Amino acid sequence: MITKQLIDQIEGEASIFFDMKDDVVDFATIAFPHFRGMESILKGKSALDALVITPRVCGICGHAHLMATVRALENAYKNAGYPIELSKKVEIIREFTLVMEMIQNHFKWIYLTIIPEVSKLTDSTRESTPLKGAYAASIASKAIAIFGGQWPHSSYMIPGGITTDPTNIDLLKVESYVDELISFFEKESIGISLEQFLSFESCKDFNTLSSDISYLESSLVTMKMNEKGFAYDRFLVIGEHTFSKPSKLKQTRPFGIDAKYVNTIDSYSPDKVSYAKNAQYKDEFYETGPLARAIATNLPIVKNMHRRFKDSAYSRVMARVFELATLLKHAKGLLSEIDISQKSCLKSVDISKITATGTGVVEAPRGPLLHTVNIKNGLIQEYKIVTPTQFNIGSSSKSNPTPAQKAMIGMTQAEALFIFRTFDVCSVCTTH
Amino acid sequence: MADRIEGVKKLFTSKSARVETNRGDAHYEKLFQSCQTRIEELKTQTPSKNRLDIDDLLEDQGVNRRDFMKWASAVTGMLMLPASFTPLVADAALLMNRAPVIWIELSDCAGNTEAMLRSDGPKIDEILLDIISLEFNETIMAASGHQAEAQLEDAMHTFKDKYLLFVEGAVPMGMNGQFGTIGAEGETMHDHLQRVAKHAAAIVAVGSCATFGGVPAASPNPTGAVGVMDVVKGKPLINIPACPANPANMVGVIIHYILTGQVPELDSLLRPKFAFGYRIHDNCERRAHFDAGEFVEEWGDEGAKNNFCLYKVGCKGPMTFNNCSIVRYNEGVNWPVGVGRGCIGCSEPDFWDKYAYERPMADAHIKAPTGGVEKTVDEFGLGLLTAAGIGIGIHAAASIVAGKKEDGGEA
Repeated sequence: MITKQLIDQIEGEASIFFDMKDDVVDFATIAFPHFRGMESILKGKSALDALVITPRVCGICGHAHLMATVRALENAYKNAGYPIELSKKVEIIREFTLVMEMIQNHFKWIYLTIIPEVSKLTDSTRESTPLKGAYAASIASKAIAIFGGQWPHSSYMIPGGITTDPTNIDLLKVESYVDELISFFEKESIGISLEQFLSFESCKDFNTLSSDISYLESSLVTMKMNEKGFAYDRFLVIGEHTFSKPSKLKQTRPFGIDAKYVNTIDSYSPDKVSYAKNAQYKDEFYETGPLARAIATNLPIVKNMHRRFKDSAYSRVMARVFELATLLKHAKGLLSEIDISQKSCLKSVDISKITATGTGVVEAPRGPLLHTVNIKNGLIQEYKIVTPTQFNIGSSSKSNPTPAQKAMIGMTQAEALFIFRTFDVCSVCTTH
Repeated sequence: MADRIEGVKKLFTSKSARVETNRGDAHYEKLFQSCQTRIEELKTQTPSKNRLDIDDLLEDQGVNRRDFMKWASAVTGMLMLPASFTPLVADAALLMNRAPVIWIELSDCAGNTEAMLRSDGPKIDEILLDIISLEFNETIMAASGHQAEAQLEDAMHTFKDKYLLFVEGAVPMGMNGQFGTIGAEGETMHDHLQRVAKHAAAIVAVGSCATFGGVPAASPNPTGAVGVMDVVKGKPLINIPACPANPANMVGVIIHYILTGQVPELDSLLRPKFAFGYRIHDNCERRAHFDAGEFVEEWGDEGAKNNFCLYKVGCKGPMTFNNCSIVRYNEGVNWPVGVGRGCIGCSEPDFWDKYAYERPMADAHIKAPTGGVEKTVDEFGLGLLTAAGIGIGIHAAASIVAGKKEDGGEA
C-alpha cells in the first residue's frame, strides 16, 4: 500500500511516498515538486551577476551559495591564467560569516524542527520554545550583517576579496554578538559552560546535564533513535575550511577526495514529478553534513558516538548539536585572528577577459555545495549547482537507495518521518 | 498578459510615489477618531486562538513600557502619521493578535520567512512569532503535512473574509503550473493562491518574487513565473518588494491594517508609500560623496576605504525606491551599501535583468522611473535632480538647472 506524507516546516516542501509492508516502511520515494530553473536563468548573464543571483537559491544557506560562486569565479580566473591571491583577512572574514550562517541554521533546526518533533513523538508536555531558535538566529544574522550588509541574501564577496573594509568598532560589535550567542547557548541550551561542554568525550556525559540539549538527547534514546535510522556509514566532506577536512570516509577510515568525481543522476520518483537530481561520488551514495564533518576531524565525542551508535539518527542529530558548539568557539577564534590593516580586495583583471571553467566547493550547513561555471568572455555559458540535500535525500530505486531512503526502511511511518528530518531537509536548494 | 504587466511597470513615476504628509488638522482629527473607534471595537473582540497576552509577554521579555512606547513612536513616524497617533499605534500593536494572518509560500527560497523570523523592533521578533496571529506558515508553524492542510482550511473558515493573506514567492504559470505543486492533491501554486485568496480581506505580496516575479521570472523565465498582482483580481493588494522584503515594512502594513482597517496609501506599483516613497539615493549615508564627486573606482581602492559613493561600481540607489537607507536590515544593524556593496535595485520590477550587478547605471540602458540616464556622472546627477524632485542636499547650481528641466515634466 502506498501512502503519501507531506513534509513541511522545512525550507520549501517535499512529499514522501511510503510503500508499507506489515506496518513498516518497505520502501519510500521522495519528490520535490518545486522548480525555478536557476541554472538556466544564469546562462548568458555576466559572470559577476551570479554573485547576486545564486544567494537567492536559498533563504537559509544563501551565504554558502555566495561563497561557492566566488570560489568558482576565482577558480575560473586561475584557470584562465590570472590567479587571484586573497589576503588572510579576506579568508578569515569569509569563513567567519559562513560559520555564522551555519550557527543560525543549526539553532533554528534544533528549536523549530527537531525539539518540537521529539516532543510530539514522545507525547511530552514540555512547552515548545521555537522563539529561542529564532532569537539566537537573529543574533547570528546581525553578526553576518556587520560584514555582509544583510542576511538573508548577503552579497559582499567579490573575486579578489570582499567589498567591506571593517574597522575595529565593527570587530567589537561582531565580537559582542558572538559573546551573546555563546552565553545564550550556555544558559538556554546546555546549562553549563561552553568549555565544559566541548570537553565531553562520551555520550554518557550528556547525562550530567539538565537542559534543552539533554532533554533532546534523552528523548532520542527513549525513541530508540540510537538503534534506528542507519544509512551507509560512509561520509563525504569536500569543501576546504578551517573547521573541517575534505575526505571520503568509509566508517571512520578516511580516503582522499576530488570534487571532479561528483556526479548527478536522475531521481526515481514514480508517484509524482520531482525536479531534484541525486548526487553521488564515483557512482556511490554518501551521507554529508555535520556528522560527516565531525568524523573527518576526529572529534572525540562523535567518534565515541559512532563507535556505540554508528550513523544512527541519534548520531546525526547530536553531531549537529555538537557542531554548533564547536563552531561557536571557532567563530570566536577566527575573530581574534583578523588583522584589519590587510587588504580587503586585491585587483583582478576585468571579467570580460576571462574564458574558462571554474569550480567552487564549500561546506554548507547540510554538507558540500558545488558550483561549476563555464565562462566565455565574461559571460556565463553554463552554470551547474549541486547541493548537499541532493547527496542525502535523493530518491532512487529500491535496489540502490539514497542515504535517507535507506535510513527509513523498516521503520514505522512516524519514525521514518522523523528520521527524514534528521538530515535537515532543504527543498528549495535541492531543486533550485 | 505580458503587455499589461509592462504597462503597469511604466506607470510608475517618482511623483506618484510621493506621500502627502501634511493634510491639515481636519484630516488627521477625522482619521484619529475613526482609528480610535476601530481600536475600541477591536478591544472588545477576543483574540484568535493560541496567542498570549502581549502586555505580559513584553514584560516577561524585559521590554518596559518606555521602550515599547519608543518603538511605537518610531512606527508612527514610519507610517507617516503625526506624533499624536503614537498611543493608538501602541494600542494597535497590542491588538496584533486580533489580526489573523495566513502566510503561504509559492515559488521561492523561503528568504522572506527567514527575514520575518528576525523581525524588527525591540523584541519584536518574539512579538511577531508569538503574538501576531500567524495562523498558517509552512516553515514556522508547529503542525505539518496533512495536519497543516487541515489547519489552513480551519483558519480560512474561521476568519473568512477577515484574514490578511501574506504570499511569499512567484506564481509559476508555465507547463500548466506543473513547476510548482502544493499539498496532497498536487494543487498548482496558481490554484492554491486563488483558493486561499478568495476569502482574504486583503493580500500582501511579500518579497520580489511575489510582487514582480523576482529571480524565477528573470530571463528566460523558465517557469513562466509572474507576480501575485498579475493573477489575482478583485482584492485589495499590497506589494512589499525587495529581496528579502524588510520585516519592518511587513509589520508596518499589519499595524496600519489594525489601526485603520484599510490598506495604506500605495504607489502605482501597489507599494505602500510609507516604505517606498523614499529613493535609496536621497537618504544614503554616502550621498555627500556623490555630491562631492568622490567615487569608489574599484573595490579595494582608497575610495572604498573611505566609504565613497558606489555609483561607479554599479550602485542602483538612484533608481531604487525603498526605505533601506533609513530602516536598514537585521534590526537596523546594517545594509548592503554600508558594507560597500552597491544597491542592486531589488525592490524594482525586472531588476535581475535590467539593473543587474557591477554595471554602472549609465551603461545599463535602464529606462528609470526617475526619467532616464545620462552618460556621465555629472550629467547623470543633473538628470536625477530634474526628475526625482525629492532630492535632498542639492547644490545650488544644479537646482537652477533642475528647476528649468522640471517644467518639461517627467518621462
